[in-house]
Amino acid sequence: MKILIADDDALSRRLLEKTLERAGYEVTAVENGKQALEQLQKLEAPRLALLDWVMPELDGPGVCRAVRKRSEQTYVYMVLLTSKGTKEETVLGLESGADDYLTKPFNAEELRARLRVGERILLLEDRLVEARENMRFRATHDPLTSLLNRGAIMDLLTRELHRSHREKKSTTILLGDVDHFKRVNDTYGHVVGDEVLIETANRLLGSVRSYDFVGRYGGEEFLVVLNSCDPAFAPARAEAIRKSISNGPIQTAKGSLSLTMSLGALMSSDWGLRPVEELLHEVDTALYKAKASGRDCLRMAQPIARTEPVTAPLLQPLRLQH
Amino acid sequence: MDTEELADSKLKHGSETMKKNEDSHSDPAWNLAELLERVDNDQELLRDLLNIFKEDFPLTMRSLESAVAAEDLKEAARLAHTLKGMLSSLGGVRTAAAAARLEVIASAGETASLKGALQALKCEAASLLPELEAYMAEVRH
Repeated sequence: MKILIADDDALSRRLLEKTLERAGYEVTAVENGKQALEQLQKLEAPRLALLDWVMPELDGPGVCRAVRKRSEQTYVYMVLLTSKGTKEETVLGLESGADDYLTKPFNAEELRARLRVGERILLLEDRLVEARENMRFRATHDPLTSLLNRGAIMDLLTRELHRSHREKKSTTILLGDVDHFKRVNDTYGHVVGDEVLIETANRLLGSVRSYDFVGRYGGEEFLVVLNSCDPAFAPARAEAIRKSISNGPIQTAKGSLSLTMSLGALMSSDWGLRPVEELLHEVDTALYKAKASGRDCLRMAQPIARTEPVTAPLLQPLRLQH
Repeated sequence: MDTEELADSKLKHGSETMKKNEDSHSDPAWNLAELLERVDNDQELLRDLLNIFKEDFPLTMRSLESAVAAEDLKEAARLAHTLKGMLSSLGGVRTAAAAARLEVIASAGETASLKGALQALKCEAASLLPELEAYMAEVRH
């Protein structure tokens, strides 16, 4: 584990460095508070810090206060080294944001034990962060396919439409529906139905670029957002995505199944900046047309006929959906 | 235990007893046992520390003397604090205590007592330094 030592006294610094290296730490040693703060602000900075109280430039409590002010970074466990150890000093040190203090000259065994306390606290923090990240993932992803859920992909789509409009690029929205999915569920059961959905999600993800979005819109419906997609290539890309489902059967517990997908598509360049619900309604209509045309095909949404070209009124900024 | 080991252990025991008697009236000038424990008996690290001390101590001491002569209390307190730190890390208990007294006096603004405290510190240092030198000469061989 990485640890930072800040002490202006070379002798004390060397002693700490060696003691901690022997205890298995990866040590960075600096000689004043300013350097300590610089080290702690770096990427992959040490999360354990041993700070002398009295130092030039910035003292130990000063470093603690500066570190605690920033809220976005990971927790740093800080131990102050003090030579006096009066009650007033202890209180002042802890109030500045230090987690613990040690009186100099330190006892090596006690130092190691106190740092182990710090490691336990950091481990606890890691677990909390992990739990929070898991919850965040669960709130934005579909538990079955791990794709973005409906809320998350709608948010991203809204943001993307505004961005592409601002940057004068085109976004292509695809709404796909697995053909005869109900029949799969009815014939083979929901476990196989789930396998089909998972494999469909994987194939969709495999056929888009890393900066496109794929989400589960609901049931067997999937929404794909192709960011900054050149309108000239959009139909071909949509076709390729559709074919990724029919290209080769899906392996399930009850054997392999050949499936197809119907797809509705809309290019933002054809429609201008409109409320996302309106665009989704149009792409849904296109999907319905694909289904009505015998399934396993793509239909492009046709822009509403209008007399005037896409001008200011249609390009008004929109409310962001939260 | 063979004869040689026995002799060796007697020698060690004897020297420890002698040291204890010597030190019984007050703290030792240099607490080598405590220092060895702190460095986990690492002779190389101990030599490192003594070398750092040999370089840093006279420099800091000279700055302290100048600060005291100029009656710069803030600087004197800071330097005394630094000396106290390095001395206590090294186990120079009595000299560290003298530096601590000087720090307190300077911090309290007792200019009148400053020179006396510096003298006391120099006195303690004068008994500590030869011990360190002797040890360094011994381990060098």
